[in-house]
Amino acid sequence: MICLLALIVFGVLGIFSATHRIIAKEALDCVFRRVTLRKCTTGLDKRLKSQITGKLMRSHPKTAKTVYKNFEIISWFFTLVLIWSLIQSGISGYNYAIYGNCNGKTNGEEFCVFDPAGKGKFSTLASNYSGPVVFPDIDDDPSIGPKDAPVKIIEFGCFRCPYTKKAEETMKQVLDYYGEDILFVYRDFALSENHPHADVHAEAVNCALDQEKYWEFKNYMFETQTTMESHTVEGMKKLGEEFGLDTQKFNKCIDDRDYKEEVENDLIAGIKAGVYGTPTFFINNKTIVGPRDFKTFKKIIDEELEEWD
Amino acid sequence: MGLNINKIREDFDILKKKINNKPITYLDSACVSLKPRQVVEKINSYYNEFTACGGRSMHRFGNRVTDEVEKSRGVIKKFINSKKENEIIFTRNSTEGLNIVTKSLELKKGDKIIQTDKEHNSSLLPCLVLKENGVLHEIVKSNDDNTFNLENFENKMDKSVKLVSVVHTSNLDGVTNPVKEIIKIAHDHNALVLLDSAQSVPHKDIDVKNLDVDFMAFSGHKMLGSSGTGILYGKEHLLNGFKPFLIGGETVTDSTYNSYTLEKIPHRFEAGLQNYAGIMGLGEAAKYLMRIGKSNIEKHETNLNKRITEKLIDDVKIIGPEDSSLRGGVFNFNIEKTDPHELALMLDESENVMIRSGAHCVHSWYNAHNLDGSARATLYFYNTEEEVDRFVEAVKKVSKLLL
Ligand SMILES: Cc1ncc(COP(=O)(O)O)c(C=O)c1O
Repeated sequence: MICLLALIVFGVLGIFSATHRIIAKEALDCVFRRVTLRKCTTGLDKRLKSQITGKLMRSHPKTAKTVYKNFEIISWFFTLVLIWSLIQSGISGYNYAIYGNCNGKTNGEEFCVFDPAGKGKFSTLASNYSGPVVFPDIDDDPSIGPKDAPVKIIEFGCFRCPYTKKAEETMKQVLDYYGEDILFVYRDFALSENHPHADVHAEAVNCALDQEKYWEFKNYMFETQTTMESHTVEGMKKLGEEFGLDTQKFNKCIDDRDYKEEVENDLIAGIKAGVYGTPTFFINNKTIVGPRDFKTFKKIIDEELEEWD
Repeated sequence: MGLNINKIREDFDILKKKINNKPITYLDSACVSLKPRQVVEKINSYYNEFTACGGRSMHRFGNRVTDEVEKSRGVIKKFINSKKENEIIFTRNSTEGLNIVTKSLELKKGDKIIQTDKEHNSSLLPCLVLKENGVLHEIVKSNDDNTFNLENFENKMDKSVKLVSVVHTSNLDGVTNPVKEIIKIAHDHNALVLLDSAQSVPHKDIDVKNLDVDFMAFSGHKMLGSSGTGILYGKEHLLNGFKPFLIGGETVTDSTYNSYTLEKIPHRFEAGLQNYAGIMGLGEAAKYLMRIGKSNIEKHETNLNKRITEKLIDDVKIIGPEDSSLRGGVFNFNIEKTDPHELALMLDESENVMIRSGAHCVHSWYNAHNLDGSARATLYFYNTEEEVDRFVEAVKKVSKLLL
């Protein structure tokens, strides 16, 4: 059984290294009992067994004996665990490729994901939207860059989402790199059903717009994301004060829910556009889901710029 | 004069090595010995100071290499007390030397080869292949305690015996065969003697003139030299009669499109570019061994082997005679119901004790004795009592776990 375990482990490692490939081949032979008993060396199974117990002997002689005696059972156990985890990683890999995150469509706290078409069995919100897909526009949301820039990027993000936060860095890189070629708009995709107070956060950040501190306060929100649990209405007010906003104006804006409609509009626009998780980026008519790296953005933006030329 | 082991160990940088914060215990010198700094420096000097072709390029570096190689040959001549330097052929290992002799004798159908029942594959196989040509091959059975049986040997001798190819000191059990008597008997029957001295030259004073041996092969790497170096000694008049089977550069003095003139011995056997650095290192190694004295080495190893034997005799089954003084620096053993490979791997993994396991390339003996293998610790002059004790303790500890 240790051979099967070794086959899997060294098989994977063997993709990268020639020495591991040799061991993998040996493991394959061992699994199929094709080992030719050689007098000068020994089979892989014995080698692994002895090395593992030998290592253990150094620190835990008693455990070493137990391991030695029950080696077959223990290796069975590890083989099963390994196979299970390999399957899990396979699924995760598939999810990442398809949905841009590792949990698939299921809505984990981390991913701010929900089912776009409302058909999936994990769907929580927006399950009643089945209309045509409508590409979002820049609306009257705060933006960076000239209005007639050749490439328009609209991000749907959520202040509670670590992945949205992760994408911040990349977006900064994109804006630095392309400058005037880009118009960037951030729209809120606040799923307060799943993410308590997501709407409060979105509205509050919009309130900062009144004091022309929108982008700065948005950054501050992501910086303090780890303490987000406490960001209730009161929490947000405190955060505004900490940040140095005019608290009277800011608190009133929050209490009056000046931006309730705005935030809801964003959400509906997102849903209509088929957004199922954050961050989702619309780059002209192309989309990127998840916090992808700069290269991924660059490839699409360059294509768009070329087309425009 | 005894050995100053601590001072000697200073020469071996590798002995200062620690693995997992524990010192290493190297007990596999019969396979390959460790190398002292003097040898390593000599080898490096070729690469750092005068890298060149020997024996052909006339520039300063080339001349220096030729010079150093011949100096080495001179040292080896002294080392085994051969009559002439041209009787010393540099090879890659014992195996090459044994093959050169066995093949070059051009034995014919009906000629007989006599060997012991404990030959290393490198000595056995070159003889076995000759059976295909109708050469006869006979084995002298050892005594029950694995020592050589001169009587059995003498009974095998007859006119047809052309070659007696025997191991000098066995790598299986450390037993040294009475080669002086063997050679005498063989010569009385007009047979030539080829000695596999891979395990004797590193540990014992050897005098080929005194032994009157015809051929003797040994390895450099088992006597402090670099890997892939060896020596074949052969009496001048016998070597002169050999047609080398590996020829090319350096083996001829002249050639036309139709013919060639062979070089003199030993060069006609040293085909192509040689392991100059290794050869130089080998000369340095021989000097080192002469300096400390092989009789001291032998005594030291015997003492250590006695110590191991006394401490483990009740726990293990020793291969070879029980009397440790007959086993040189070899302690080959089995623990009942345990696998020698597992034992060796665990000694290494848990206590950094490095020994060898398996059939030690004497498969024929293991097959004849229905054994799969054994674990073997082999000593050299740089090993200490402390190391030996560490080995003993580790064996006891691991065998407790395995049983
Ligand atoms: C007795 C004996 N003969 C021959 C050999 C072969 O030596 P080499 O591998 O250097 O050719 C060995 C090496 O283990 C040996 O112990």
